[in-house]
Amino acid sequence: MSERPVVRHSTTWKPETIEDIQAKADLGRYRIRGFSALRDRPLPSFDDLTFVPCTLSRIPLEGYREKCSTRTVLGTRFAKKPIEIDIPIMVTGMSYGALSYNAKVALAKAAARAGTSTTTGDGGMLAAEREHSDILIYEVLPSRYGINVHHLRQANAIELTVGQGAKPGTGGLLLESKVSDEIAELRDLPPGVDQRSPCRHPDWFGPDDMLTKIEELREATDWQVPIFVKMGASRVYDDVKLAAKAGADVVVVDGMEGGTGASPDILLDHTGIPTLAAVSEARVALEECGLYGTVQLIIAGGIHSGTAAAKALALGADAVYMGTAALIALNCNKPLYVDDYQAIGAEPYACHHCHTGRCPVGITTQDPELMKRLDIDAGAERVGNFFNAATLEIQMLARSCGKSDVHALEPEDLRALTLESSMIAGIPLVGTNVVFGGGPGWKPSSER
Amino acid sequence: MKDIDCTGKTSRAINQEIRHHIQAGETELRVQHPQARHNLGVAILQPVSLTMSGSVGYYCGGLIDGPRIEVQGSCGWGLAESMLNGVVIVNQNAGNSVAASIRGGTVVVRGSASSRAGIAMKGGTLIVQGNSGYMTGFMMQKGAIIVCGDTAEALGDSMYEGRIFVGGRIADLGNDAVMAEVTDQDQEFLATTLAQYDIAAPASFQKVVSGRRLWQFDKKDFDTWREAL
Ligand SMILES: Cc1cc2nc3c(=O)[nH]c(=O)nc-3n(C[C@H](O)[C@H](O)[C@H](O)COP(=O)(O)O)c2cc1C
Ligand code: SF4
Repeated sequence: MSERPVVRHSTTWKPETIEDIQAKADLGRYRIRGFSALRDRPLPSFDDLTFVPCTLSRIPLEGYREKCSTRTVLGTRFAKKPIEIDIPIMVTGMSYGALSYNAKVALAKAAARAGTSTTTGDGGMLAAEREHSDILIYEVLPSRYGINVHHLRQANAIELTVGQGAKPGTGGLLLESKVSDEIAELRDLPPGVDQRSPCRHPDWFGPDDMLTKIEELREATDWQVPIFVKMGASRVYDDVKLAAKAGADVVVVDGMEGGTGASPDILLDHTGIPTLAAVSEARVALEECGLYGTVQLIIAGGIHSGTAAAKALALGADAVYMGTAALIALNCNKPLYVDDYQAIGAEPYACHHCHTGRCPVGITTQDPELMKRLDIDAGAERVGNFFNAATLEIQMLARSCGKSDVHALEPEDLRALTLESSMIAGIPLVGTNVVFGGGPGWKPSSER
Repeated sequence: MKDIDCTGKTSRAINQEIRHHIQAGETELRVQHPQARHNLGVAILQPVSLTMSGSVGYYCGGLIDGPRIEVQGSCGWGLAESMLNGVVIVNQNAGNSVAASIRGGTVVVRGSASSRAGIAMKGGTLIVQGNSGYMTGFMMQKGAIIVCGDTAEALGDSMYEGRIFVGGRIADLGNDAVMAEVTDQDQEFLATTLAQYDIAAPASFQKVVSGRRLWQFDKKDFDTWREAL
């Protein structure tokens, strides 16, 4: 019997690299896909941190009797009616167009059920989304697709979007198969085009203009509702300061793990900074402006569990947005209709094919037949359950750290498992009590 | 006619006064001494008539649905941005991005308009009696832009649809903007629209529309896409 040859792969010319070159040799453009970063080198993440619960130096709270509040208030700076939600987890903005009708409505119902908010997206507000949500955030994006002052005035907050983590510095994309007649009409576009959205707002450029824009949005809503500014995590330390100084009530920072319905894959994998670094920089930025606690901070990008959310809160976020995790609760990547995953070149648990418009589980599609696979009420229940589970996780971690309010979680409750995360987050490395670095402008808590 | 004097007041206070008078049933309002304040007359949703007796700053008449606003001076950026319906007239010049992303209604600039006039328009009509600046009609989606004078570089760049008419000289067309024939219907539209605002039509118009080559990616058309993607 002949010996089998040893198969040796090059680390430079990996199978993925070879496949990538050959795909581009066919396509003639950069590749576009959905989901999130797919790098093979892991990013520094919240998983690199661990909580240090109470033992003798601190006393934990008793789960049965002692309450741990999860109530979250956002937009206390200038708005007459800040948003009050029951949990620090919110549904992020995902457009009707990227998502199916069923997915949009399921998310609205889930948010209402869990006592939290949902957000419109690049393409305007869906009436059913307003109807089924208690708290709705209305996005004002560079494309202004579907912009409608009446919808804006029905919202509980306005989110002025500068960019997102999946593609900072560039505009939205919606490929041909998803620009159905209905979506085209809502966006004032010809049906079936490959829609490319602008990256800059049509009527303002920099932070000075944004200040005036924010004031316009306040005038349009009579200073009632909070104005959020959402950005992709890039130069977070500077950008958060600029947004706060331009008058945002709430700053949203979306890390490089942030999900998408369609983005150039190089932007997903090679632009922006990870969410862990983003929250660390954002907190310091707000502290240095004297606005930490006055301007609330929402963190997004790869928040997959109550644990990740709790760590984001401990590092300085007031709430987290969930996008991909909510879609996964709706059945994204679940091994159902396996043949249909394979037909679009995917496999369950390894699908990132939202851009094709052929989502096997009816979430990111405009195809009426595929959409039927997502039952609105059953989906809403699953997402609601997932949010409840994540909330219990946050509460459990907070109680174990002796906190009667999840917003009392603090950096001191954390230790870093890696040198890298210690340097990024300014958290002591386990077993040392030494902080190896810290973000820009970081100071030890004794000097703050 | 109700007069509102802006002297010593913030935009917020002025807008509150405007709303208060509209609630009280006033249909004609005159805002005096606006002194280029920003955000005047934002989000008015009633078919009232508003005169700004002077120049205004950014976003005057932004996010409106229904009113008629006349600015007797010049305006800053984003006049009438995202309007759903209504008429906004500026008697002198307009700053950048006039009529940005409007979805209906008419904007008239009696002087000249700066760059990105009619950017991302989703409906409605923009009329510029003078000249208009760089990237007029950038990423326009629907509606019509009529420029009686000259247009600067990159006219109609990356427009999806819509019609741009130019009475004077076109410095240069943007990506995928192409010349088209002015039809009889276009002529009628131009004549009636301009007559409505007492604007004398130039001797003739050129028409620019989307070449539709950017509607779908085409790897064989790399030269076009290198500029656009
Ligand atoms: C399917 C999909 C569609 C999206 N559409 C939008 C959008 O319309 N506007 C926007 O600002 N962000 C959009 N995003 C980005 C999210 O708002 C959010 O920033 C991101 O999903 C957060 O990361 P996560 O998915 O890891 O939770 C979209 C994300 C997904 C997954
Ligand atoms: S299952 Fe659907 S939503 Fe999930 S990655 Fe695949 S196409 Fe996108």
